[in-house]
Order: sequence, then C-alpha cells, then structure tokens
Amino acid sequence: MSSESGPAIAVASLYQPNLVTRQTGRAVRDGIERLMAERGETIAVIDFRDVAVIDFSCADEVVAKLVMGSAGETGDALPRFVLVRGVREHHLDPVEGALRRRGLAVSAERIGGEPVLLGEVEPEAVAAWRMLAACGRVRTEELARRLGVDSGSCASLLAGLLRRRLVRRNGDAFESLSFSASSASNPSDRIPHAKG
Amino acid sequence: MSKVIEVPEVLDHRGFEELVATLGGLPEASASRLLFNAKHVRWVSPYGLIGLLAAAQVSRDRTGLSPRIEAPDNRDVRSYLDRMEFWPAAHDVFDMEPGSAPSHGTSDALLEITPIRSHHDVHTVVEKVRERSAAILEKRLHYPKPSVIQFSVMLSEVCQNIIEHADADGWVCAQTYNYRERLGREVLMLAVMDVGMGFEGSLGSEHARRYGESWSAAMALEAALLYGESRFRDPGRGQGLQAIRRQVEKWDGMLAIRSGDAQIALVPDWDDYPSMQRSLPAFPGAQILIVMPARTEEVR
Repeated sequence: MSSESGPAIAVASLYQPNLVTRQTGRAVRDGIERLMAERGETIAVIDFRDVAVIDFSCADEVVAKLVMGSAGETGDALPRFVLVRGVREHHLDPVEGALRRRGLAVSAERIGGEPVLLGEVEPEAVAAWRMLAACGRVRTEELARRLGVDSGSCASLLAGLLRRRLVRRNGDAFESLSFSASSASNPSDRIPHAKG
Repeated sequence: MSKVIEVPEVLDHRGFEELVATLGGLPEASASRLLFNAKHVRWVSPYGLIGLLAAAQVSRDRTGLSPRIEAPDNRDVRSYLDRMEFWPAAHDVFDMEPGSAPSHGTSDALLEITPIRSHHDVHTVVEKVRERSAAILEKRLHYPKPSVIQFSVMLSEVCQNIIEHADADGWVCAQTYNYRERLGREVLMLAVMDVGMGFEGSLGSEHARRYGESWSAAMALEAALLYGESRFRDPGRGQGLQAIRRQVEKWDGMLAIRSGDAQIALVPDWDDYPSMQRSLPAFPGAQILIVMPARTEEVR
C-alpha cells in the first residue's frame, strides 16, 4: 500500500542512558506501538543518540519485537516501518544479536547519518538496499541498471525488502526509510520517557 | 540451643563449597537455630561474601529460624565486610540486633553487595557501576574503552537472570583484587547468586520431557550456557547468557555457574577449574562467578 501524502512519522527519542531489562523494553515498545496504532502508514523513528547502554534483552523487546510486529508477522496488515537513528558502535552487538536470533533486520542510520542495515539479510538484498539508500528514491528499472542486474531480479529483491519493511513504496518508485522520514512534512510525535 | 556451622577460614568459591557441604550434612527436619561462626575467617572473596548470605537464607528456609552470625575477628576481613555493605544485607537473612549494621559511607568496591529484587534494582546496579567501572576497567585492568559498556551489559543480563528465572531474590557484588595464587595479577570478580528454582527447575517445564529421566541440573546448565535454551519457547529468549559467555571468552575470563548439584564452567588457560562438576552437594538457585583478569601487554 502506498500513500500519496506520505507516512506519519512517530519519533521515539530514547533519552534514558541505560536501556536495560525486558520490562523497560516492553514499556518503551508499548509507547511506540500506541503511537503507531493511532495512525495508518507510519514510520517509527527510534532515536538511539542518548542511549549509553542497551542490553540484549531490552534490544529484543524494543527493536526486534517492534520490527517483528511491523513486518506483519503478528497479523498486522497496516504498513508500519521502523527506522533506528543515532546508532553507535556499542549498540551494534545487542541490536544485531537480538535481530539475528529472530532472523529479522531493520533499517538504521549511524550517528553521523550513514545508512546501515542491521540484522540478517541476504547479500544481494543488502546491495540493493544500499544502492536504494544512496539514491533515496528510485524506480525499479533505474535501480536494476545501477546494480547491473535484470529488472525481474531487481523487482524480486525490492519485493523482499518491502515485505520485510526495509524500504517503502511510493507511487511508481521505492524509497529508503531515511528518505521517506526526512521528506515527510507532518509533525512528529515523541514517545514519553519510559523506565518500565 | 544453636547448632554451630563453622565458616571456612578462606571463604572463596572453594570455601563456599565446604559451607554447602556442611549445610547438606544437617538433618532435614532440624528445627534448631544455626549459628554461622565466621570468627576465624581470614580471607573472603565477593563470591564467598554473598555465598554466606545465600547459605543463611537456605538455612532459614530449612529451619524456619533466621540463623545467627559470629563476626570475623580479623580486622581486615571486618573492614572488607563493612566496605562491601555486608551487614545491611545480612540483616535481611540473619537474626541480628537492630542497628548492629555498621555503615561505612564510602567504598572502593566496584559494586557493594546489592540485593536484586526487581528490574529497578538492575537499573540501579547499572547506573552505580558505569562511572566506577570506567576507572577500574580502563585504568587498573587496562581494558579498552568499550569494555565499560560491555561490562554494564553483562552485569545487566546476569542480574536479570535472577528476575526472569529464579522466582526469588538474589544478590550481586563485584570487586577487584590481586589474584596472586593463579595469575599474579589483578582480577575483577563478579558474583551473582540467588536461592530460587535453579536452572533445572526453570528449564524443566519446557525441556525435561524431551530428556526423560536423564534430565538433571548438569543437563539444564549445558542447555542454557552451551545451546542458549530457555524456559520460554520464544526464540528471542536465552540470549543473555550466550552474550555473557561470548564476552567472557573474548576477555579470556572465567565463568562458572553452579545450580542444584552441578557446576558448569568456561575455563581459560590460566585456570584448572573443572569444566563440569556433577554430584555436588545440592544447593538451591543459581550461583554465578565471573573472573576477568587484568590485560597484559601482549593482549592490549
């Protein structure tokens, strides 16, 4: 499903330095899910800039379970996306570990804005995702040309990425979540501080 | 009349085993109050320290009476117990006079004895340790900067093990000391204990049927530590212990988990601890020991 007006953007700034314990993770995820539930197509932007410590249990509750829900694995048909921002080196192990354990992946940006795909994705799909992230918005044929693959293969890769909510379809083109989130004009919402 | 339990002179992980064996030798239906005689203790490790609390808790559960304790004579040991905030924690399990817990104020410990009762305690522990661990891990043990956060993550996961699996309260503490006997250099010792359901009980509901009569504490420990299994069917569970294991291996550290009548250990080259022990004297809950050695020039 695409949206002419663009998705709603829900920004969850996790401004507590220690994101630890499952209970805290559940409380944070509940807050984000509540915001997403009030909207149709949504990109939940989870901002990790202020997070000093995140443990594996909390990463599982906040990131992995949110991605699992947004990817339609819990029967949710609404197009919902997750973008993780402000990722630092010390976030990688817990977040990637939690995602890989469930065979999931999430679109992310490092602290300097560099796009990065976290979790478990096949190498060909990673290449397509990276190229799309570099372009921002691109049609299938153009992406196929840039990747040096035929249109059918490229369409198949994009369908896989779309199914996993790692990219977004907008009209006749595909967008990276970073592009969609930064070009959206609707006001953002913030998730209140949650400590479980 | 009290029955006297002699606390070993050296109260480390080996001393704790002696204590457990002594407790195990007591008649099950004994209703007499126990006295833990710690007068002759001349050395105590963080593991031994909270092991004493765990032993007191178990004897209270068995007899229905809070045991008494005879404080150590040794001045250094007494001072160490004060600095590690032993007495406030002891008040919860020993029969002590009100107000007889000396408060030390400041401490050089990485983490004084802290009860773990809820996830709020885990937050408290992680907050408490962040600043102190930077000074200790980087400056004294020469660990790289990211290890401060990695240690906090490990600490959080190991404490959550109590909340998520024990169904009972527990304790954590950490301290550095010179491990002359084994290494000739400083180590950081982290000890976490509870006297709850233990690994065999926690994983039993999900896994015992598959293993039939061979299901045991040793099997439960192997399933959890080596294969990342948990009592939950959710594949996201069980990763905390796996993460701890990877981190300890990376740091060339030692990890031992005792539960029920078994103990499993990841043993580095510098130690000769057995990797699996079965048929130990039974003790409830889980007792976890992590030893991180100071980094030498070669590995820095």
